[in-house]
Amino acid sequence: MKKIGIIIDKYHLNYKVTDFLKYLKSIAKVKLYVDESYFLISSNHHFDEDLFFTKGKGDIILSLVKLIEEHTNIPVINSFKASCLAINRFLNSTYLRKAGIPVPDFSLNPKGVTPPFKDFIIKNIVDQGVYKFSPIIMEENGNKRVADKRALDEVDGKEHQYNYLYYQKFIKSKWEYKIYGIGEDVYFYKQLPVLINPNKTESREKIEEISDLKEYCLKAMEVMDIKITSLDFHKTQDGQFFLTDINCTPNFNYMKNGHKIVADYLLEQARN
Amino acid sequence: MNVGILSKRTTNLAGEIKKFYENKGFNVVIYTLENLSINENLFNNDFYILKSKNLFFLYAGFFLKANNIPVVPNPQVSFMQKNRIQSHFLLEKADLLTPRFYLGKSETLINQLDSEVFPLILKPIMGSGSKGVKVINSVQELKAEDKEILYLENFIKGLHYNVYFIDNRICTLIKPPLSNEHADMKKVNTPKDIEDLIKKWRLFLAESNLFGHLDIVREESSKDLYVVDPGSFPEFTNWKCSSSPVKEICNLILNQVEEMKNKLNNDIQHTRVNE
Repeated sequence: MKKIGIIIDKYHLNYKVTDFLKYLKSIAKVKLYVDESYFLISSNHHFDEDLFFTKGKGDIILSLVKLIEEHTNIPVINSFKASCLAINRFLNSTYLRKAGIPVPDFSLNPKGVTPPFKDFIIKNIVDQGVYKFSPIIMEENGNKRVADKRALDEVDGKEHQYNYLYYQKFIKSKWEYKIYGIGEDVYFYKQLPVLINPNKTESREKIEEISDLKEYCLKAMEVMDIKITSLDFHKTQDGQFFLTDINCTPNFNYMKNGHKIVADYLLEQARN
Repeated sequence: MNVGILSKRTTNLAGEIKKFYENKGFNVVIYTLENLSINENLFNNDFYILKSKNLFFLYAGFFLKANNIPVVPNPQVSFMQKNRIQSHFLLEKADLLTPRFYLGKSETLINQLDSEVFPLILKPIMGSGSKGVKVINSVQELKAEDKEILYLENFIKGLHYNVYFIDNRICTLIKPPLSNEHADMKKVNTPKDIEDLIKKWRLFLAESNLFGHLDIVREESSKDLYVVDPGSFPEFTNWKCSSSPVKEICNLILNQVEEMKNKLNNDIQHTRVNE
């Protein structure tokens, strides 16, 4: 039996992987490395897993992934590069646009300096600690302005970290297109945008393949070295898609048999 | 030529660099954390100098480089020297000795650290120099209620050096332990093993290593050299090996920018031919 290490945080362990772990344990040996209690020693490189899977994005998880990559040949899904780029909205926007994937205009500005576009959403720069998206919606002189509370807290609140805000041009879209990439396979869903209906699953429906989105998804995965992901796209009135978000720890429970698809993919990678 | 300098301050070395290029007839703007917005407006300059490793200057560096604007020093290499974990693995990859580190939540560290590993040095994960650095003598000095992730490094007892390099020139100083670059230091002749170490480091980072510094400790019993802190753009406050290093640094940067632009033009031509 192949041995798979799961590098995970308590949040995902408690709420997101019950079915996945149950199934994975039936087809592979599983060892858990839990972020909140892991003791990392830089000289300890002894791992006997055939593959690691990351389900979390904290600094201890990222450091452990880096250590494994530097000192072993064991594949890690998702890699250090993939996770670091996926959690950093500014960096992934930069590199995805460079690769020719349409992303909304973006700007990183000191607090108080508005970006060079009128409708915008303020997002947290590094999407790492707090998972809940709490939008604050404002209309100013007919312009749409949305702010994620997490981003404001990082500048003004208790979680103060810095004086910069990440602005993304707001793309009005009837639907949010939720695309999952698992290895070379791409899965297509759509739902009402979270700002319209916070209950993600209520309006979610499976849709036919959209070739542009498949191309963007596979290209983004290649550029960012990401093997398992979900991507959010908005579509303008003239039919242009824009990638608004990329995630390295997607909730595959929203897909039919998602837990099984991911576990089977991991096992296949462990065998290669 | 239009030059941007990404720097926390407009004075000191950044100010001197600005003056040097202005005397050559260049237009120079220093971008601080107060006036830096990272978007297409930055494309007005021909090249940038990444003087500070503050995260937002690094972001600007990544953004500019991705858009084919030359940035010196290389933002990726500067970032890796700013992040302790990445710099540890970078130094290991360069085949240099660097202290072992321990990482975890404070509660985990309290429960798992053996008493014989102390003293340790507590350092911020993102940082360089001596800011936030503290010696921890026993597990009792760690607070269990601290929710933050702690990075602790083995304390190497021995002689501390601050070693600058600009191109092939090396300037070696003995420094007080855990002090920053600006402390009072004594210049010494560069020992052969330190010279070799610097050569190895520069060779490893290739063109990304025009200048910089390393904090090195010679371990008192083995005499082995441990690199405890790399730096990509020091202030050169204690450069005591010739006249001001500004001219040399500025000329090295200009040469590298020229090479980067030539390479970029070649790449563009190559792409056009293939199309």
